[in-house]
Amino acid sequence: MNDWLLLSFDILILFILLGLAWLTCNTKEIKRGVTLFVAFGLLLAVIWARLKAPDLALAEAIIGAGISGALLLKAMRDYTEQTSLSSETSRFYVWGINAASLALFVLLAWGLWHALERSDGVRLAENVLITTPESGVSHPVTAVLLNFRAYDTLLELAVVFTAVLVVLAMGTKQRDFGKGEPILIAMVRWLAPILIVTSGYLLWVGAHAPGGAFQAGAMLAAAFILMSMTGVRVDSMLNDSSMRWLLVIGIGVFTITGIVMLLINGHFLAYSKELAKMLILLIEAAATLSIAAALTLAYLGGMPKPQQKTQSAVKIDKTEEGTS
Amino acid sequence: MMINDAIVWLIAIPLLASLLSLVFPKKGTAIAIAGSILGLLASVALVYQVYQSGPITHELGGWKDGLGIVLRVDAMSALFIVMTMLVVTMVGFYASAYFTDAHKKAQFWPLWLMMVVALIALLASGDLFNLYVTLELLGLSAVGLTALSDNRAAVQAAIRYLGIGLLGSLVFLMGVALIYTAYGVLDLAMLATVVEAEPAAQLALALMTAGLLIKSALFPMHFWLPAAHANAPAPVSAALSALVVKVSVYLIIRLWFDVFSPVLQPTASFMLGVLGALAVVWGSWQALRAERLKLMAAYSTVAQLGYLFIFIPLVMAFPVGEERNTALAAFLLLALTHAFAKSALFLSSGVVLQRAGHDRIAELGGTARALPLTIFVIALAGVALIGLPPSGSFLGKWYLISSAVQTGQWWWIVVIAMGSLLAAGYMFRILGHAFGPDESIGKVMAKGSEEIPALILALTATVVLGFGSAWMWDFVNLASPLAGN
Repeated sequence: MNDWLLLSFDILILFILLGLAWLTCNTKEIKRGVTLFVAFGLLLAVIWARLKAPDLALAEAIIGAGISGALLLKAMRDYTEQTSLSSETSRFYVWGINAASLALFVLLAWGLWHALERSDGVRLAENVLITTPESGVSHPVTAVLLNFRAYDTLLELAVVFTAVLVVLAMGTKQRDFGKGEPILIAMVRWLAPILIVTSGYLLWVGAHAPGGAFQAGAMLAAAFILMSMTGVRVDSMLNDSSMRWLLVIGIGVFTITGIVMLLINGHFLAYSKELAKMLILLIEAAATLSIAAALTLAYLGGMPKPQQKTQSAVKIDKTEEGTS
Repeated sequence: MMINDAIVWLIAIPLLASLLSLVFPKKGTAIAIAGSILGLLASVALVYQVYQSGPITHELGGWKDGLGIVLRVDAMSALFIVMTMLVVTMVGFYASAYFTDAHKKAQFWPLWLMMVVALIALLASGDLFNLYVTLELLGLSAVGLTALSDNRAAVQAAIRYLGIGLLGSLVFLMGVALIYTAYGVLDLAMLATVVEAEPAAQLALALMTAGLLIKSALFPMHFWLPAAHANAPAPVSAALSALVVKVSVYLIIRLWFDVFSPVLQPTASFMLGVLGALAVVWGSWQALRAERLKLMAAYSTVAQLGYLFIFIPLVMAFPVGEERNTALAAFLLLALTHAFAKSALFLSSGVVLQRAGHDRIAELGGTARALPLTIFVIALAGVALIGLPPSGSFLGKWYLISSAVQTGQWWWIVVIAMGSLLAAGYMFRILGHAFGPDESIGKVMAKGSEEIPALILALTATVVLGFGSAWMWDFVNLASPLAGN
């Protein structure tokens, strides 16, 4: 009975997901498209959870729906007047893309069918589960991300770092949002500290349960982004130089740890067993800060401008309206 | 110990230098130059190490049996790495003089060094998923560097480049996912032992190849390249044309012949060769018609990459062993020569563009008198691009032609001859205008720090690789997984 109920639930969300995807791609109005995309991301997070991948569900909800949504909303605010979706793209072009996507889908489905047929033999995932106790953490996902395949994670941090460099290269900081409604500000005042504490929690539990640096960093950035969206002058809390240090600290700590381990144990990032748990936590803490700084900067669209020193920094600025 | 871990240092040094150059923007140039020189030394040590003791592996994290990621360097990757570091170091010297705006310079170094990390990490990677990550890092840093140019066209080209790059990586990732589903391994050496000719592996290889073809701008997927490479700042154009597109070709060769050899179909390799041949003809023809120097250089890249793809059906026609290795060494020689010659050409174009204020080929009269060394470098680069002796590409093309004869695929010879004639056409056209009587460029001077790096690169392409490449054939035979080591 229970199984049957869950199955029908799964089928239902699957169809809603497909419907949302279709609507997101085909809506003419940008604002509606962005809203649908955020809803799509949240539903996808539910599906990851149903597939028993809670780490992915967390990341999808925070980054895929939350941060990406905020980025899209901000971009939309600046360009919505000039741009409207698919106004100049011809019908022929759209159907060409649709046909190509459909062909790719059929091909992939066919390939996946054959791939699943032969998926036996020694597999990496089983090896990971067996070896996790040696990694210093008990959560296999964290063991893979921070120990077995830590080098991948290091390069992924570099990807995030580079993305911010690209944002910085493309332009200066965008106009802030104006001050929000009082109720909204009051809510954010409650929410932001909770987000910051939750971020710390996600970082800590990563060792034995779903969570970790990416989710924690994104959560921390979400707190800043929320504040910025309601007109709190976040950039007055951050100056150019401290942002630069925050951006590099994650990769810096990661790489230096790797080199020290190379000198001690002969392999890059080969943690000494008794130190593994502590080193992983250290790296994750530094990475959390860098990810948060990177996502915040990507949202702001550029380095915070140097502020006049006289203004009180942390308090919500009541005298100025939100134009920078 | 430092020498034995050269490959780790080659990744760690530019990575840390990138971070430092962001934190200390005013010292960016010094940090980047120091990092490049250290990297160049490490890359020479790496080649020496591989030459002495064959292909090397480094298990990151100390995990074995495919649990962790493995760095693997053989002759081919070692030579590509030393090529990358030499080009990057020379272009770095040039860039320190090229960027006059301190703000732009500060933005340039962190991205530039990240691109170096991505290039080396890609060339050293022995893991399928890790390769995807390096491709993303490479694509993103290249986009950022392209956008550093002031003009609007460059930013538009960068955005289009971003879209193309993401499409390529995504298609590549689909292939990786299929392989992981079917075989449960990501390590390239382990995959090579289990992969079979069956639909999942065939589709995966097709997807990964398609992704890489988009990134390496093989005809007809070259449409994004001329705009991006012609509008980027000169040092960036040099690296994009010499290195960034080329490592995708490297990866195709690596995957095809080292990992997926049981899956390969002669028809597919023939098709890649045909596309390469079309690229040679079309790219050279467009280069001949181009009105601007940098656009000509960009189209010439489309053509030169075409030659590298013609090698694929030829390499495939040889059985595993010494003959195949010889063809592979010729491929390497041609790729290396092009990297040095094209970066020299782009750097010189940058000098002309900055000094003359434009790079319209028809109005280059008097340049030879005003910038004699720069025009000399362009001529040297031309020698290598056409494939005249003593350049490395003369030897490369010679072997290309002789293997075409050996394997009975004579039709490629027609294409190679046509490409070389057209290349002679577009290079002599520039020199003709540069030596022309017109005085429009006036009296200008170029700094030594701009001209010397380009000269070194051009001399490497023409003289060093031409006369000093004999050892490469042994090297590839000794230290190549294709040799069965």
